[in-house]
Amino acid sequence: MGRTDRGDTEMASSAATAMLDDGSVVNKVFYNEAIVRKFVIAAIVWSIIAFGLGTYLGSELAYPQLNIAPYFNFGRLRPAHPTAAVFGFGGNVLFATSFYIVQRTSRARLFGGRAWADFVFWAYQLQVANMCVSYLLGFSKSQEYAEGEWHLDLWLAVIWLSYMTIFIGTLTRRKEPHIYVANWFFIAYMSMILILHVGRNLCIPISPFRAKSYSLFPGVQDAMIQWWYGHNVVGFFLTAGFLGIMYYFIPKAAGRPVYSYRLSIVHFWSLVFLYVWVGAHHLHFTALPDWTQTLGMAFSIMLWMPSWGGMINGIMTLSGAWDKLRSDPGLRFSVTAVAFYGMSTFEGPLMAVRDVNALSHYTDWTVGHVHSGALGWVMLVSFGALYYLIPALWRKPGMYSTKLMEWHYWLAMTGITLYIFAMWVAGITQGLMWRAYDAHGFLQYSFVESVAAMHPYYVARALGGLFIITGALMMAYNSYRTITTPNESALWAGRRFAGALAAGE
Amino acid sequence: MDSKKGDLIVGIVTGIFGLVGLVLAAYAQDVEIYIFGLSLVGFAVLFIFGLVKRFYDEKDVAHGADGQGGH
Repeated sequence: MGRTDRGDTEMASSAATAMLDDGSVVNKVFYNEAIVRKFVIAAIVWSIIAFGLGTYLGSELAYPQLNIAPYFNFGRLRPAHPTAAVFGFGGNVLFATSFYIVQRTSRARLFGGRAWADFVFWAYQLQVANMCVSYLLGFSKSQEYAEGEWHLDLWLAVIWLSYMTIFIGTLTRRKEPHIYVANWFFIAYMSMILILHVGRNLCIPISPFRAKSYSLFPGVQDAMIQWWYGHNVVGFFLTAGFLGIMYYFIPKAAGRPVYSYRLSIVHFWSLVFLYVWVGAHHLHFTALPDWTQTLGMAFSIMLWMPSWGGMINGIMTLSGAWDKLRSDPGLRFSVTAVAFYGMSTFEGPLMAVRDVNALSHYTDWTVGHVHSGALGWVMLVSFGALYYLIPALWRKPGMYSTKLMEWHYWLAMTGITLYIFAMWVAGITQGLMWRAYDAHGFLQYSFVESVAAMHPYYVARALGGLFIITGALMMAYNSYRTITTPNESALWAGRRFAGALAAGE
Repeated sequence: MDSKKGDLIVGIVTGIFGLVGLVLAAYAQDVEIYIFGLSLVGFAVLFIFGLVKRFYDEKDVAHGADGQGGH
C-alpha cells in the first residue's frame, strides 16, 4: 500500500491489517476515493453550467430578445438545461455518493479496478457534453428527458452497464453480512433506470451514419411509454437515488442512527412498488383510455404514504441532535431538502387528481412543482452531501468558510422560494385565464393575453435563478479553497465539522 | 478482478470504441454523427494515453520506494 504522487489512495491487496493503540488488530480496507473526488468536482462544474443555463432560459422567457438563433434559442437550449442539471449535476452526485457509500458500508474496494471506474467517469462526462451539443445543433427525439438520438442512447447503455457491474460487484464482495438500506435504494435506481432507458429508447435508426431514428411505439402507446419513462426518471433517478443519499449522509452528519430502520424498509418496498404505475397521470384528458388515467391517479395518491414515511424517517433521525442544525450548515441543507421532499411529494399526487389537473396541466404550476422537487429536494440534498464529502475526501477538518456555506444556504432558499411562488401564481393565473368564459360562452382571453400576463412572474423566476447560481458559485469557490488550503494552515485551528470526523474512517 | 488485467481489458475495449468512432466519423452523413464519432476517437486516445501514463508513473513510484531511482 502506498500513496502515488497524485495523492490517490492505493493498495497492494484488498485488505491489510493495522495495530490499534490497545493492541488489537483490525482489517483496513483502502477505498478508491480518487474516483469519488472526480465525480464531486464534476458535479460542482455541471451545477454551474446547469444553473447558468436555467437562469438564461428563464430570462429568455421574460425577455424574448435574448433568444439568439439558431443555437441559443429557447427550443434548442431548453433540453440542454435538464440534461446538465439532472444528468450532469444530479448524475455526478449519484455516482460520487453511491461509489462512496457502497465501499464504506460494504468495507470493500470498488470492483473492477481503477481503470474501469475511470472509464465510467470520463465516458459519462463525454455523454452529458455530447447530449448538450447535440441539442444545440438541433438534433432531438423530442422525448422529454430522453431527447438524445440513438447513438447517444447506446453509449449511455454501455456506461450504465459498467456502472451497475462495478456497484453490484462491490456489494457481492462485501465484508459486512448486511446490505445497508442506502444501497437498496441505489440498486433500485440503477436497475430501474436501465430498464427505463432501454424501454423508452427502442427505436429504428434510418441509417447507422445519421442521427435520426423513429420510435418503435406508435401514437398513444408512445405517449404512455414516454410518461412511464419520464415519471420514473423522477421516481428512480431523482427520488430513489437521492433517498440513498439521505439514508447515509443525514445519520452520518447528525451522528445518530436512522430513526426507524424498519420504516426505511417499508419506505423502500412501497416506493418502488407504487412509483412504476403513476406515469399515466401525465396524460389526463388525452386519448389514453380513461381507466389507465384513473389507475395513474389512484397510485399517485397512494404514493403519499411512502413519501411521507420516508420524510418522517429522515427528519426524525435528528432526534437528540437538533442543535447540530445551528452549527452544521451542511446538515441544514440535507434536512431542509427532506422537508421539500415532503412538500413536493404532497403536491405531486394532488396535481395528479383529475380535477386539479384540469386547472394545472400545461401551465407553469407544473414547472414550479418540478423545480420544488429538483431544487428543493435534489439540489439541497446534493449540496448537503457535497459539504460532507469535500472535507472527508480531501482530509480537511471542515469547509474553508462556514460563512460562505451560510450565505449559500440562504441564497438557495431565497432563490427556490422566489422560483416556486412565481410559478404557482403564474400557473394558477394561466389555468384560470384559459378556462374563463364570458356571458356569451366565448373565451374571455386570447392565449397571447395569458402570455403577456406572465411577464412579472417570469422576471421573478429569472431572479430566483440568479440567487441559485450565485450560491452555487460561492460553493465552488468555498470548495476550491477547502481543497487547496494546506492542512497546516492556521485557518483550520479549532474547527471541526461532522463531515470531517468521517475522514479517518 | 486483478487490477492490471482489468486495466488492460478496459484499454482494449476503449480502443475498439475509438475505432468505431473513426468509422462513424468517416462515413457520417450529418454533423451530429461526425462530431460524436470524433469525440469517441478523442476520448479513446486520451483515455488510453492516461492508462499508459499511470502505468509508468506507478512504476516510477515503485522504483523510488525501492531506492532504485527512476528510469
